[in-house]
Amino acid sequence: MNIKVNNLTFAYTQKIVLNKLTFAINSGDFLTIVGKNGSGKSTFIKCLLKLVKIADDTIFLNDQDINKIQRFQNVGYVPQRIEFSYEFPITVSEVLSSAYLHRKDAYYTSVINALDLNTFYRENVNTLSGGQLQRVFIARALLNHPKLLILDEPTVGVDLENIKGVVKILTELKKQGVTIIISTHEIEYVRDLTDYFLSMSDFGEYRFVEAGKWN
Amino acid sequence: MELIILTNIFQSLIDSPFYRYAFIAGICVGVLAPLIGTVVVIRRLSFIADTLSHFSLAGVAVGVFLAKIIPPSWFGLDPILMGVVFSVAGTFIIEKLRGFYKNYKELSMPILLSFGVALSGLFIYLTPGISTNWTTGLLFGSIYSINARDIILILSLSVIVITLSIIFYKKIVSLCFDEVYAQVSGINIRLFQLAITIILSLVISIFLDLVGVLLISSLMIVPVAAAILVGDSFKNTIVSAIIFSEISVIGGFTLSYYLNLPTGSTIVLINILILLIIMGISRIRKIKFKKDDDYLTPE
Repeated sequence: MNIKVNNLTFAYTQKIVLNKLTFAINSGDFLTIVGKNGSGKSTFIKCLLKLVKIADDTIFLNDQDINKIQRFQNVGYVPQRIEFSYEFPITVSEVLSSAYLHRKDAYYTSVINALDLNTFYRENVNTLSGGQLQRVFIARALLNHPKLLILDEPTVGVDLENIKGVVKILTELKKQGVTIIISTHEIEYVRDLTDYFLSMSDFGEYRFVEAGKWN
Repeated sequence: MELIILTNIFQSLIDSPFYRYAFIAGICVGVLAPLIGTVVVIRRLSFIADTLSHFSLAGVAVGVFLAKIIPPSWFGLDPILMGVVFSVAGTFIIEKLRGFYKNYKELSMPILLSFGVALSGLFIYLTPGISTNWTTGLLFGSIYSINARDIILILSLSVIVITLSIIFYKKIVSLCFDEVYAQVSGINIRLFQLAITIILSLVISIFLDLVGVLLISSLMIVPVAAAILVGDSFKNTIVSAIIFSEISVIGGFTLSYYLNLPTGSTIVLINILILLIIMGISRIRKIKFKKDDDYLTPE
């Protein structure tokens, strides 16, 4: 899935967060977004997912204006955390099967196995560690057969072993031609996979560079 | 002794349409209230049920006032139907009021609740010949006032809500767990939210007669509050809430029948008793697990 961002500007009340952001990536590219907290990384992801209103003709997925897309297809999203009260009981199997609107099939099982979720598949999500929860979120995103995968700070609160596991999955997905956008503070884990870096700073300033030219 | 008691209540159910209708309605509310209550609690809308029931009361009061002062041939509107209209309108008013505040959106509910109570008080005062029994019935419910028409309405609503819950179960779970992901995966959040609040307001207004404005939200919230403490999955929590609710309904009917107590209040009090028992058990289990953990922790 190719992505084109054209003159995207976004502001919260008084503060400009994205200022004439413009870049393009092709299908199968791996884009790493870096920048300190409040620099606009999450806002850009919100724009991309249509979670906030943006002007027409500013973001295109496969050459189609996202404002004209009624329902995203093949877009997977892995949040950093969710606004869910873990006091309410819900199991991993319920989270995943609710995200899969078809009957469980071989693909569903393959995702569960690929992320090694069998050991805690019937567990309540509030008993999971940060790394296990992140794997559940990745599995949920993969159930959508993503051609575009967006990950928001997937390494926060996750131990090294689980980070390596996530990187392994991303490497495999990149091989399969999935376009991947990741927002992170820890670029060392994804440096080898990255094709482009988008570095964001205050007041919407940004730098979009090829991985080879990044230092 | 127990056999005689059961025989008496069964005989009444067979002989008297009032008991029969009340019992059927009670069983329906026992399923519907916690079913909707689960979504209401997770979506943190617990207070909305209370707000809408109070605003719905205003609708009933206005309906009764209009029915008294305008000849029926001009304006044959059922007061309960007016309650439905107010309740549904209340959901939109809450949404509008929320738009006026950025950080204090919950203010919309006490504002509407006060408005509803004030309107009810005013129209009850203005309506000529209104009896105290009638007002008490609206506040605390008068389950035996249900007729065949009400039963058809309640059964139809129950079938509709249960069918919708089964059809959209996965989407409801997805929305309750993670609204952002649900939106990204193509669920129309606004439409769902609207559907949930409209169903909620319909249930509230239709059950207003049954349990009363002061108790209806308790039937939605209390069984779910108990079920959260014992459920280990979304499905188990809903099933537990329905079981607690039905125990309260059947227990409430039986107790109120023999002790001549108000049925709605007895049902809610049994619900609260179940919650307290579950809280006690849950506390004991926590203490036990903590002790086990301490024992297992190496020094």
